[in-house]
Amino acid sequence: MSKGNNFIEYSIAGALSFLKESIFADEYATKEGFLQSLDPRIKVITFLLFISAILFTKSITISLCLYAICLALAYFSNVNMWFFLKRTWIFIPIFSLFIAIPAIFNIFTPGEVLFTLKLLGLKLIITQQGLFTAVLFVTRVIASVSFAVLLSITTKHFALLKVLRIFGIPQVFVMTLGMCYRYIYLFLEVVENTYLAIKSRVGTRLHYKKGQQIIAWNISSLWHRSYYLNEAVYNAMLSRGYTGEPALLNDFRVKSKDWVWLFFTTVFFVILLYLNRK
Amino acid sequence: MNKVIFELRNVCFSYHGKFPALRGIDISIGQGQKITFIGANGSGKSTLLHLLDGLIFADKGSIKFFGEELNERCFSDANFSRIFRRAVGLVFQNSDVQLFCPTVKEDIVFGPLQLGIERKEIESRLERVTSILNLNNLFERSPHQLSIGEKRKVAIASTLMINSDVLILDEPTAGLDPLTARHIIDLLLQENQSGKTIITSTHDLHIVEEISDTVYVLGQEKNIVATGSPEEILRDSRLLEDNNLVHIHTHRHKDKMHIHSHQHLEHHQ
Ligand SMILES: Nc1ncnc2c1ncn2[C@@H]1O[C@H](COP(=O)(O)OP(=O)(O)OP(=O)(O)O)[C@@H](O)[C@H]1O
Ligand SMILES: [Mg+2]
Repeated sequence: MSKGNNFIEYSIAGALSFLKESIFADEYATKEGFLQSLDPRIKVITFLLFISAILFTKSITISLCLYAICLALAYFSNVNMWFFLKRTWIFIPIFSLFIAIPAIFNIFTPGEVLFTLKLLGLKLIITQQGLFTAVLFVTRVIASVSFAVLLSITTKHFALLKVLRIFGIPQVFVMTLGMCYRYIYLFLEVVENTYLAIKSRVGTRLHYKKGQQIIAWNISSLWHRSYYLNEAVYNAMLSRGYTGEPALLNDFRVKSKDWVWLFFTTVFFVILLYLNRK
Repeated sequence: MNKVIFELRNVCFSYHGKFPALRGIDISIGQGQKITFIGANGSGKSTLLHLLDGLIFADKGSIKFFGEELNERCFSDANFSRIFRRAVGLVFQNSDVQLFCPTVKEDIVFGPLQLGIERKEIESRLERVTSILNLNNLFERSPHQLSIGEKRKVAIASTLMINSDVLILDEPTAGLDPLTARHIIDLLLQENQSGKTIITSTHDLHIVEEISDTVYVLGQEKNIVATGSPEEILRDSRLLEDNNLVHIHTHRHKDKMHIHSHQHLEHHQ
């Protein structure tokens, strides 16, 4: 019995720490590296250029190239490759299951037959165009998700919110976003602590059934507690003079390095657009 | 006496309208005073401190800050809110809620940055506060990953940075090692010497005498059951026992406080 239980236990603890690590990895934002040294505003603009280039392209090669650029940027920003890949590829199964895989078959994408599958008496035909569409789709998803993730992990969360404000996103929206972010963090924290508390009270040999009961009983109180905590944190921010517009330690300064970087990405973007027209 | 800062009249508060937390509090706090609230768990100490910090508002009765009534409306005035936040600082009982920035350093400078204090001034305060509390080596750490005592020190630092005239501390020495606790008390006394008002809540009777000139005892009924100088209150062992504050007997020997545990009963006879 203990084997199965351990598996559940490890997977809960692992999932929690993974979630926390992946959403709140502020450690990369504070490291020294290329992307961290850029002005957040310039960084956001250039990343938007990259992502729109990915969305416009109809070539697998170009989106793979862009993906390679993204990985190189991650490398030069001291981001742990394994962590980065793990974090971005997690999105792929979800997308491909619902969109990419159906697309390879002739039902959805008619075209030249590549090969035929026989499954449960059903004749499934995979088409060349279908396969191409699916591969293009997957490379685009992975490349754009990677850029988005890279931006979020190499930029401090407060800085990102400030950039959104600078770009004219309404205050209410930015504030809500900030609250959500903190809320999720606190929620995870509460889940983790509750989990430890259960473990310390019941012992490691928690029976599977019993564990389920405790968890079910706790879910509602979890929401409650994290809501309460969130409110308390908000109060603590108010108490120190927060008015909804976070003031940052370093005010943004655009350096010549930022201009050079902006220049190159813009040129690159224009070239890609030109290539796409043909 | 000095100017009155806070004036509370028959203040009642209940959470969500159904969990009473304070019942009819009357106090006035003057500038430069050292006030301590003591009382059992759940007697409403934290609630009272949050009311004083303008985070929650009385259901009944009134709280005045320099003669102006505190309510939600006056905090929607940005000007008032800034003045108030600069004047009053609170160290929360739970440091986890107080620390929310990615690094300790950012947390420490959060307050003064929000309040628009000049960069130079922030730097000099930062130097002073961190050298007193010995926090330099924690600057780049994430506050969530510190020990409870370290978190509390960071929380205290982040409030001290505001350099407010009124310092409210919710159990400032809980969980601290004796030397650090000593440093913090010395720091508070020093701040008080320079004219600041210190308001604390605590269970730690050892520090009450030093950090207060007036002690309020909050009873199980969530009202104030006794007020007096620390000597008066600490001498009243009945009162302290009734309010879960001692399971040990307290009495005086030649003008010095002694605190004995129950085992030394023969000592009393
Ligand atoms: N968020 C809340 N929701 C509902 N009731 C609350 C909440 N916070 C506190 N209370 C209730 O209000 C009362 C006073 O709580 P408070 O936290 O002020 O006590 P305290 O004197 O600070 O206790 P402690 O010594 O344990 O810190 C308690 O009865 C408590 O149950
Ligand atoms: Mg309390």
